[in-house]
Amino acid sequence: MADFGTSLDRRRFLKLCAAASAVTALPLATRPAQAKASAVYWLTWENLAKAEYLAPYLAAGGVPITKGFIGSDDEQFAKLRAGGGSEWDLITPGIDKAELYIASNLLQPLDLSKIPNAAHLYAPFKTSPLGKKDGKTYNIPFYWGINPIVYRADLMDKEPDWSTLFEGEKYKGRLAMRDYALEGIVISALYVGIPRDKLFKMGAKELAECKKALLAQKKLLRTYWNSIGDLTNLFASGEVVCAFSWVPPYYDLKARGLNMGMAKPKQGVIGWCDSLAIPAQSKPEGVEAAHALINYLLGPEYGKLLAVGGPYAQSTDIARSSLTDEQQERIFVKDLGVMDSFVWKENPANYGDWVRLWNEVKAS
Amino acid sequence: MASLEDTRRKEFAVLATPAVLFVGAFCIAPLALLFLYSFYRVDFVAMVPDLNLRNYATVVTSETYRTLIGKAMLHGALVAGFTAVLAYPLAFFIAMRVKVYKAALLTALLIPLYTGDLVRIFAWRVVLGAEGILNTFLLWIGATEQPIMALLFSTGASLLVLTYNYLPFMVLAIWIALELLDRSLLEAAADLGAGRFRTFRHVVLPLTLPGVLVGALMVFALVIGDYLTPQLIGGSSGVTVISAIHDLFGAAFDWPLGGAIAWVLMAVLVTLIAALATLALRSRLGRALLRTR
Repeated sequence: MADFGTSLDRRRFLKLCAAASAVTALPLATRPAQAKASAVYWLTWENLAKAEYLAPYLAAGGVPITKGFIGSDDEQFAKLRAGGGSEWDLITPGIDKAELYIASNLLQPLDLSKIPNAAHLYAPFKTSPLGKKDGKTYNIPFYWGINPIVYRADLMDKEPDWSTLFEGEKYKGRLAMRDYALEGIVISALYVGIPRDKLFKMGAKELAECKKALLAQKKLLRTYWNSIGDLTNLFASGEVVCAFSWVPPYYDLKARGLNMGMAKPKQGVIGWCDSLAIPAQSKPEGVEAAHALINYLLGPEYGKLLAVGGPYAQSTDIARSSLTDEQQERIFVKDLGVMDSFVWKENPANYGDWVRLWNEVKAS
Repeated sequence: MASLEDTRRKEFAVLATPAVLFVGAFCIAPLALLFLYSFYRVDFVAMVPDLNLRNYATVVTSETYRTLIGKAMLHGALVAGFTAVLAYPLAFFIAMRVKVYKAALLTALLIPLYTGDLVRIFAWRVVLGAEGILNTFLLWIGATEQPIMALLFSTGASLLVLTYNYLPFMVLAIWIALELLDRSLLEAAADLGAGRFRTFRHVVLPLTLPGVLVGALMVFALVIGDYLTPQLIGGSSGVTVISAIHDLFGAAFDWPLGGAIAWVLMAVLVTLIAALATLALRSRLGRALLRTR
């Protein structure tokens, strides 16, 4: 009798089903002799794993990819914490959350010798301590962007900045913020003038200042948005004229003929970066395949496809020279100096206090 | 030889065991685990079994969590009340007046439930939005010069959509009670000279009140658990105690405090429902209903 081991996890179950299907469909087929993964399991955001982005990798004989999609970073972390690490070979955490994954022993170190494209990382990512511990790299920066202010240029008379979202009566009831403690509070901190080096290290006094500003802001808001599709809808229907946003509504609605604007306030703009990491429980053949996939994702073909289709910038400069000036401008890599002005997201040590404060503001 | 009583007892045990195991494994055990976690504390990404009442003290002393729990109860009660008032005439019509199309009407009533929460929510946005159907109509007839912004993204809008969402549950509960009503009682009331209103007031309503209560309890619990509708329709005031718990479990990784709030909410709910049930059963109507069994 076959020994299936002590546990039949989802991944093994899927493999068994796939094997059974293959045996049924192709009874005469012979199996390859080498121990190569039959699939690499990638947990990621849906917009990063479009078929056309991955086609060159598969055409070059890359291990087939089985994709799983996440709705939020918290969901991804919760999945792995609940023992889901064995189901995936590659995950896509925000690099600001990397320390949570590393401290929870959810990741295994990367072998950078198998990721030659990592040599092309932009300088801020190469030198960043995030995703590294004891000289080992657990998370490698993957792609990045900024979260600016997006507004209906046809309904506003001048370019907004953060103060537009906190004061004045002119746009009262037509503004929106994302329902997310980290970004909401950092923006209030930028508005009240907390120094940049203290943004993610705020104590009770600074948080109290932020709370005061956020309470005043709440009276001006139409709503807190929860998904970028929802915000796009709110812009399109005229419910909201100005919001702290992600970039996509700007391009999506411009393409549909609306006069949209995008503002990057001088007080600072929040930059984000998602990383690639391999779960601690991934099997050796999966780890091998994941390294090959990471190298492709940091490579020139994927970089160009993501820049044109996203539009998002990957973490390496390897595709930059193949992009037009306009394409570079769209993903903020035309003038690389601009990266120094971004406020890169970090995970505050007292983040529980931040979430409680955020709930206090919303419940007020 | 085993007595009939013993055989029945064994049969009962055999039949009840799967249900007990199911409830134990999938309902009691997770809740018990959550209860245990509620006495822990969080140290970065670790949950430390340093058992104490700190989290419960936080819930009780926090105006935010107290307000959110109170708001959940209030909104649950309001929506249960609104649905009861709207559902009763509808259920009465379907049960008492419709003969041929009863099944079709009940199916039509349930159709919105098949469309999913998000579809219903976005449909309401189209109706209530600043440039929505209702505001466009009001502007067109000259009832207002500016769109009424409070039609959407307000507490009122949230209550309206919640009432719409959960109305079918109330209609079904009342409809079943009306279908089970012994029609000969209505004939007896008529024979004794009672008019329609008097028959309804003294016969139909008291005997169908248990259906209203069942519907109210269902709607009450469903409204308290629904955080999507208030979040997407309620605007900047759409926060609920459930979304606060969600934030604590997800973003803040504070399962102990999230667990403590969940248990306080459950305790308040159970106490409230038990108190209402006791009051109802002690009332004259309750005692009368018990006697008829």
